Amino acid sequence: MTKSKLTEIRWHGRGGQGAVTSAELVAQAAIGEGKYAQAFPSFSPERRGAPVMAFNRINPDEPIRTRAEVDQPDVVLIMDPNLLSILDATSGLKEGGTVIINTKKSVEQVRKDFGISARLALVDANTIAQETLGVLIVNTTMIGAMIKATGVISSESIKEPFEKRFGRLAERNIKALERAVEETKIGEWLEMAKAKTKEKPGTKGELSWKEIEIGCFITKPGNSVEIKTGDWKSRRPEFDFDKCNKCTLCYFFCPEGCIAKTKDGYFEADLFYCKGCGICATECPKDAITMVEEAK
Amino acid sequence: MTKREGLEVSIAVADAAMLSDVDVVSAYPITPQTHIVEHLAELVANGELKAAYIPVESEHSAMSACLGASAIGARTFTATASQGLELMHEVLYVASAMRFPIVMAVANRALSAPISIWGDHSDVMATRDVGWIQIFVENGQEAVDNVICAFRMGEDKRVLLPVMIHLDGFVLTHVIEPIELPDKKDVDRFLPPFKYPLPLDPEKPVTMGAFGQPFIYTEVKWAQEINLEKSKDVILEVWQEFGKAFGRQYSPIEQYQTDGAKVLLLTMGSYSETAMVAVDKMRNDGKEVGLLKLRLWRPFPYEELRESIKSAEILIVLDRAISFGGPGGPVCSEVKAALYGGEKQPKVVGFVGGLGGRDITMSGFEEMINRGIEIARTGSKREFEIYGVRE
Amino acid sequence: MATAVHGPGIITELEPFTPGHRACSGCAEALAVRLAAKAIGNNAIIVNATGCMEVVASPFPYTSWRIPWIHTLFENAAAVASGVEAGLKSMEKKGKTPERNIKVVALAGDGGTSDIGLQALSGALERGHDFVYICLDNEAYMNTGIQRSSATPYGASTTTSPAGKESLGQITWKKNMPAIAVAHDIPYVATACPSYHRDLMKKVAKAVATPGPAYVHILSACPTGWRCPTDDAIKIGRLAVKTGTFPLYEVENGQYKLNLNLTKLEPVGNYLKMQGRFRHLTEDTIKEIQERVTQEYNKLVALASKSGEKASPE
Repeated sequence: MTKSKLTEIRWHGRGGQGAVTSAELVAQAAIGEGKYAQAFPSFSPERRGAPVMAFNRINPDEPIRTRAEVDQPDVVLIMDPNLLSILDATSGLKEGGTVIINTKKSVEQVRKDFGISARLALVDANTIAQETLGVLIVNTTMIGAMIKATGVISSESIKEPFEKRFGRLAERNIKALERAVEETKIGEWLEMAKAKTKEKPGTKGELSWKEIEIGCFITKPGNSVEIKTGDWKSRRPEFDFDKCNKCTLCYFFCPEGCIAKTKDGYFEADLFYCKGCGICATECPKDAITMVEEAK
Repeated sequence: MTKREGLEVSIAVADAAMLSDVDVVSAYPITPQTHIVEHLAELVANGELKAAYIPVESEHSAMSACLGASAIGARTFTATASQGLELMHEVLYVASAMRFPIVMAVANRALSAPISIWGDHSDVMATRDVGWIQIFVENGQEAVDNVICAFRMGEDKRVLLPVMIHLDGFVLTHVIEPIELPDKKDVDRFLPPFKYPLPLDPEKPVTMGAFGQPFIYTEVKWAQEINLEKSKDVILEVWQEFGKAFGRQYSPIEQYQTDGAKVLLLTMGSYSETAMVAVDKMRNDGKEVGLLKLRLWRPFPYEELRESIKSAEILIVLDRAISFGGPGGPVCSEVKAALYGGEKQPKVVGFVGGLGGRDITMSGFEEMINRGIEIARTGSKREFEIYGVRE
Repeated sequence: MATAVHGPGIITELEPFTPGHRACSGCAEALAVRLAAKAIGNNAIIVNATGCMEVVASPFPYTSWRIPWIHTLFENAAAVASGVEAGLKSMEKKGKTPERNIKVVALAGDGGTSDIGLQALSGALERGHDFVYICLDNEAYMNTGIQRSSATPYGASTTTSPAGKESLGQITWKKNMPAIAVAHDIPYVATACPSYHRDLMKKVAKAVATPGPAYVHILSACPTGWRCPTDDAIKIGRLAVKTGTFPLYEVENGQYKLNLNLTKLEPVGNYLKMQGRFRHLTEDTIKEIQERVTQEYNKLVALASKSGEKASPE
């Protein structure tokens, strides 16, 4: 860790996944310990399913004045393993910083697949959440992994915020958290790791003021086709052409307009855009479409 | 050469819009602007003006409909005043940011409460920062000329901005005076057809009004600011061209009897004319006073102001609006800011007067100037002075 | 995505509203816009009020619109559309542009229509502009995070009409916007739902072809705000129709016509129980809602029978 006692945390999740709640609970726990803490979301119009960020700052001794987004974190949390392929987890990470990932993979595998040589803390939060809570909500489990990896707050102090937030469901969430504390695997910082300089993830179109069209108009009609909303999904539709009767309903009911006819007259989703809503699978009268978890 | 005829100023303003061949008028009645839009409705009804007249249900919709019409490339005109201008407020920002060269006559009027239908500049000053070009006129002829100029300024490809023409309610709008209406063919020669560069058009689709995230908003606003600043060059060019074509010349700050004047009064709008009479009298009495008339309110004419006060020792500014709990008059406040740190700084004394239709007479201006001179010498505990209030 | 798809009814390969928009996963409102856009076609100008559909379609420098589109403010879509329409007419009449019969369509949410934009809409309908106004109703201010509007149904829990010890959620009945539109004596009013996609496209096409003002009120499920699985967004819309909660009908020149011949309404509880926003409702409240729905549906049936229009079997 750096000289400063300040710990800065960046959460990566998907809209609706609880990244903002996680950050809030961590801050409440830290404040409960008498520390100074902040929690805030990345203020953006992102919708359910889209990649979102949330932030924490925790300082044991001094009030926190910085109000800007965390761009040089000590800790990065990745709540959805699929996010790793669409964002740079180590962007801006401080020397010696930790990346905490919800994944079934081993430290070696993550290093190999994603080239992350930073300190790693890995937890199979999906399995823990599924087994302990009965639902795939991993935010409290991820807090457990963070406690194990950083000790920036204690397992004790998180209990009260959990009880306030979850009521009778608090107990199960505490259990999930404690399991995560136990099961999280650590991989130490590798020497060759070079902390990258600050680079804000996900910003595009950085025009100079001279390049902006009059009235800030957009003159490329329909250019949102460049946006890969397929990054949002955690499951995808699989089409069984043997069952398909070419009724066109999946094509008509797709909110993305990303289901098209194949050469043979069957239908298939363009996964570049598919957000994995599952409407096509529900509406298919022949059960020719099945939603499967994104395997990563 | 056209002849001067006796016309109500409101009627003449509407005629100027007709001479400019507007395509769409969208308006809502409000005193003291109503005669302008009534006459436009009449011109359309009689077939003298070929335009769509949209009798909207509010000023908010009046300006909103102007946005739509301008967005498809139609030449668009409206008029309002007071509460109407305030109801339009949020729409005004959109008009300038989206670069729609709408022209609007504002019959300046006080703001509620208490409700007052009479003139002052409270409405103008509340819309100071909306990004429009804003021009004050002081008589009917200036109103007519500047409505025509406004279309050419706003529609210039280097500008593409909406323009407000401010004319005082009642004392200007409702006065019948000799006005020369230019010939249609001369106006046609002066004012080229409007060609908006990126209109809403199915043949070349554009998206207008996209969502501006933090990574782009600052750049958008800076581009807008630079554009408004630079519009001054075009404004000056248009006034010069107008002068050549019609023989009447306008400038951002007009000087009257300023040669050798140690004391200057700065005013806007119709009260400037009474002030001129007062200055004449004081000059006759041997006093070295002169008058500055602020015509171009936005973009603010910094250079011209600094140039025009060079020889003055005292500058008295009359505002017809109060910035409550602040510096008093918004104009005086900006004048002070413009002069601060300059090599030559006259003592500046701010007056607020002429609120809610309260006249300031010739002797009133004389009294104000004398009091201003006195305060400049002795100083005052107040940030600004109020003129004509009963104790 | 320009694959031709053929089948019975209106089919078009046009997608004026493109993929890559940033609506929530499973957003039936985005689907409603996509279907409506297909029916509107390319020779049109869209005027969009502030709201979900504006935000998700236009994060600068991207746009999901292949046809001309303008967004300015929240409450003024109908007024801006008035200006667009009047401007086009004037320019054509003066010979400044050729006659092209460009369609003008305003899109706004339920808040932008039945609350803050009602005055501008009323004005535009009353003035008789040749345009289509589409209300995209998902029964709350979803863009700002599920606050109640006057279109929120009785009993729904939203962030500003939360259910609690002292409250059953929204305590007012949904404002009847189509009836308000009808009261303006305009030539065409219709209700639609993306769960009935052909019906929706047919109605939008009809509205676009109608000279003068037309109003189409489209109900669409919002999985985020209605608290239901994204998979069910179409199913829930279908239930809204089949329970009579949101009947599909048209009013042409004052003549009512029910589009589906529902001999028996499904129990409204089937619809309510699929949604988390109604989870707190007691059987008594559900009964109360059932009575209201039946009563309102019967009123419609009476209006339709007065018009002598027969509903088509489902």
